[in-house]
Amino acid sequence: MSTQQQKPNTQETPEDPEMKGAESPQQERLKEKESDMVDETSVDESELEGDTVLIKVFRYDPEVADKQEPRFDDFHVPFKKGMTVLDAVMYARDTYDSSLTFRHSCRQAVCGSDAFFVNGKQRLGCKTQISELEHPVRIEPLPHQEVVKDLVVDMDHFYDQMHTVEPYFQNEDTPDASDLEEQRQTRENREKVKMSTRCIWCGACMSSCNIAAGDNEYLGPAAINKAYRFAMDNREGEEIKEHRLRILEQEHGVWRCQTQFSCTEVCPKDIPLTEHIQELKREAVKKNLKFW
Amino acid sequence: MAERYSSFAPGGTTWLLQRITAAFLVVVLAFHFFLLHFVNHAADVTFMGTQARMENVGYFLTMVLFLIAGTFHGVNGVYNALVNQGLQGTQKKVVLAVLVIASVALIAQGTYVATVMAGWT
Amino acid sequence: MSQSYNRGLIEDFGRWKEFSAGMWAWIFHKFTGWMLIGYLFTHIAVLSSALTGPEAYTNTIQGLESLFIIRVLEVGLLAVAVFHILNGLRLLMVDLGIGLDTQDKSFYASLVLTAIITVASVPTFMDGVTI
Repeated sequence: MSTQQQKPNTQETPEDPEMKGAESPQQERLKEKESDMVDETSVDESELEGDTVLIKVFRYDPEVADKQEPRFDDFHVPFKKGMTVLDAVMYARDTYDSSLTFRHSCRQAVCGSDAFFVNGKQRLGCKTQISELEHPVRIEPLPHQEVVKDLVVDMDHFYDQMHTVEPYFQNEDTPDASDLEEQRQTRENREKVKMSTRCIWCGACMSSCNIAAGDNEYLGPAAINKAYRFAMDNREGEEIKEHRLRILEQEHGVWRCQTQFSCTEVCPKDIPLTEHIQELKREAVKKNLKFW
Repeated sequence: MAERYSSFAPGGTTWLLQRITAAFLVVVLAFHFFLLHFVNHAADVTFMGTQARMENVGYFLTMVLFLIAGTFHGVNGVYNALVNQGLQGTQKKVVLAVLVIASVALIAQGTYVATVMAGWT
Repeated sequence: MSQSYNRGLIEDFGRWKEFSAGMWAWIFHKFTGWMLIGYLFTHIAVLSSALTGPEAYTNTIQGLESLFIIRVLEVGLLAVAVFHILNGLRLLMVDLGIGLDTQDKSFYASLVLTAIITVASVPTFMDGVTI
């Protein structure tokens, strides 16, 4: 299940090195799964082959007089099998307009820098197949964040909220180094936190959350999930878990979640965010009931 | 061990109370609708009939508790909706004060009306 | 090609066509909640006619109930209350961590049940009143 196990797959000599590189191992896995069941997608893709795809990209640049008024630019991008939204905007930038600005790095859904608002939904550009979208494809920066330029949004607030929950392992009680011992985690406990560890800080969930949009102090799904990852880790002591719960049970912590499931639906790593937030609510209530 | 926090964090208390009142209201609201629209037709309600019901202490207490739970659940819901929209600072305090006063007034008035209905005044 | 783009309300309720089940459930729940708390205040105000005397109370209620529009509003109130109850049960389950994977289906189920109960209650609610 883990990404590591899939690594050998990427070592295969790809027929089309450029396109292979843009695919994440997860996409490959999904494709393998789907290829057995659905033949339609491949039919669709071959129909699109050789065609151009129309993408409408949000443009805005406060530093250039002509571009201070936000607008959409149309780009006709030649379609290639396996093309992602990120591939399309990269093509547009490299071929038509080098001023088109957006963040991207690993192109395989690991770095979390290319979350866009694609056809009305927060998606990861590198993990979204053009063939699966309605056309024309409308690409906008993430909602509820300040736009810096084109598709680049200001992530400072998101990072602030992430740091509020102290997103790092805290246990000074390390085994003696001379014993060559490790801080072990049970398999069950690893399974419990597994999904929550997958967060790539892309900010899609926070952007989709109606409450985070209204209440600026709300920690937001990503930060709460990060807190879950450590609060539920048995290697951390009871004391630190209580400390974590105290951060979460503030007025603008877990209680603001209205279980709209927006975050869970947009998460590109399929983290069950709402489930984790709900569990933390119950944990906080239980903790407080204990001392009555 | 670290210091024990024996008091409920404010958010957590109201969150739990909102759920507890919800569970209570689900039952009583359904009962209330059923009693006054199906068992007794709303159009046939008279003071005599109302008094006959209210005189029963169990019914009276249920109705008063229904009022208190409903007011808390509803007003807390309104307050939370506003906090979710980013209400803060002085405005938030004023809204909270107004809502608390309105709730107390509603519960007081409702309870008074119920005692009059029961004929205990 | 230049298109003015408002990043204000359009990001939220202007996007209503793209809302998913969970979001709709929340909107309906909040909306019905506002109606119910508003009704509670009205309800106590109307019942306060009992303070004037038994006659006034009976006359007020029967006078209101003889109005067609009041009966229609009562059916509306029933629909609102039933939805709030059913979706409230759904939310209680979600809070307990039950059925999170089928939360969209339970929302549709509460909508359908609300419709059925409301329609089935119309004869009882409309009994003995004419336009």
